[in-house]
Amino acid sequence: MNIIESAGLGKRYGRTWALRDCTLGIPAGHVVALVGPNGAGKSTFLNMTVGLATPTAGAVRVLDGVPAGSPDALDRIAFVAQDAPLYKNLPVADMLHVARNLNRRWDGDRARSRLDRLGIGLAKKVGALSGGQKAQLALTIALARRPELLVLDEPLATLDPLARHEFMQSVLTEVAAEGISVVLSSHVVAELEQVASYLIVLGRGSVLLAGSCASLVAAHKQSVEQIVLGYLRNANMEVAA
Amino acid sequence: MTALSVRSARGASPGGRPVRWSRLAWVTWRQHRLALAGTAAVLGAISVYLFIMGQQIHDAWGKVAACRPLGSAACQQLLDAFNRDYYGSTSGSVMSSGINAQTVPFMLLAVPILLGVFIGAPVLAREMESGTFRFAWTQGCGRVRWAVTKLVVLGSALTALAYAVSLLFGWYFQPFFAEGKTGKFPMQLFGNLGVSFAAWTLLAFAVAAFAGALIRRAVPAMAAALTACTVLDVATMMSIRQHYAAPVTSAGGKPPGGSAAWLLDQWLAGPGGQRVSVDSVQPPAGLQASGPGAFQSWLQSQHLTQWWSYQPASRFWPFQLIEGAWLLAVSAVLVGATVWLVRRRAA
Repeated sequence: MNIIESAGLGKRYGRTWALRDCTLGIPAGHVVALVGPNGAGKSTFLNMTVGLATPTAGAVRVLDGVPAGSPDALDRIAFVAQDAPLYKNLPVADMLHVARNLNRRWDGDRARSRLDRLGIGLAKKVGALSGGQKAQLALTIALARRPELLVLDEPLATLDPLARHEFMQSVLTEVAAEGISVVLSSHVVAELEQVASYLIVLGRGSVLLAGSCASLVAAHKQSVEQIVLGYLRNANMEVAA
Repeated sequence: MTALSVRSARGASPGGRPVRWSRLAWVTWRQHRLALAGTAAVLGAISVYLFIMGQQIHDAWGKVAACRPLGSAACQQLLDAFNRDYYGSTSGSVMSSGINAQTVPFMLLAVPILLGVFIGAPVLAREMESGTFRFAWTQGCGRVRWAVTKLVVLGSALTALAYAVSLLFGWYFQPFFAEGKTGKFPMQLFGNLGVSFAAWTLLAFAVAAFAGALIRRAVPAMAAALTACTVLDVATMMSIRQHYAAPVTSAGGKPPGGSAAWLLDQWLAGPGGQRVSVDSVQPPAGLQASGPGAFQSWLQSQHLTQWWSYQPASRFWPFQLIEGAWLLAVSAVLVGATVWLVRRRAA
């Protein structure tokens, strides 16, 4: 089964295509890294996948054929947007309660024990948490929804190196325990090498490369980072020429 | 594959029922309880004032009404004191007469729009400004139910609170109606009585929420909604309200119903019914001094008739309901448009 399937997917903002002619079939059971420079169309692709944006062209389906953004898709996909937006003025406990009341599936015990392990107090205001704690809280809420697919948009962008490492460890632990699929975007390639098992490279609004890391490494006889950099460099030269 | 996707799209997941409205209502309450508490505090302060002053006014009016013999100098003195103490002077500028039953209605007139706009504008705009809509709109309940809950819960709460205040105002002002001091049609009274006060609060809330969803920033949305609502309110008071029903015309010394009717126009007509310009009519000097009937008999001798056009006092409630109905309809359309904006808005 494919967790994300897109055919001729495109999104235009005004007169600029943020993403065009994107045809992908991402198999389930992977940690998928969506990489590319800023403005490559990563957020646009993820926003359409989670139903925040509607495609200008083509279509995207999730979880084996469910239309993106449909009630069923919303129910089964958890999304953490860039900068992990949460209600800053609420205490952590109330933030959890808000999330519980906005969802049909909710595992409150799991959320509380996870926050307990991380040392994030329930009485603390969300706005008073550090960047790393806030990202962890957003991840905790996403996981408490018991999703089949977890989508993270630039989860590492605002974190310091230690927090990045801890965050990715958390994701990997949970993924291993639950067997859920994860799609995460990043403009930093280095951190993803150890965690990603499937790679999609976007450049200037189109898909440059997609495949499982193992097969790509075997075919190119290079590290993932070298492969990505090679493709991005080629794409830039094509535009320059 | 197609069969599978259709089945799962219709909700094959556990339960199959959407998130309960009561849960969504709790989220609205938790996020907006400070705004609601502020509303309650403002309206509470107004209510305390209306209640305390209303008690005094009713006590004083009770003494005036019980005074016997009617028309005696002592009773007239009591009535004059009542008017002076609570209604304020009717000569000179209303604005300089202090806070009394004459000026309080004007101040209250601003409350529905200010309240509706300050509560309504941030409801969606704040989420868009801070980016939290990306959290809210990707939860299992879906953005449409989320938005509908917010708008319905907050809109109903505001409308109910406003209606309670306008009931209290009606009680506070009632002795002056009993006295025959004024009718209920002057704009500063009509807007605070009946369903008008609550309906304008709801309209301002709906306009502001819509502006917030459209502009996506709370403060500019407040400014836009404040302007739009003020223009509409002034237009209604000045020129729309009087057309809710065709006015009644009558000939004679004065319109039936006295000060309770809403006088719109008066003119003189010749024997054929044609209007006569006021400048061409020259009543002899000293006619006014010889009594109210003198002018009418002089008009008769000139074959002229005085005409009045007015809305009778009995139309107060029909007019209230007409105004309430169109404000409710416009608010409902705006709430629908706001939900539509939320639905189609892309991240």
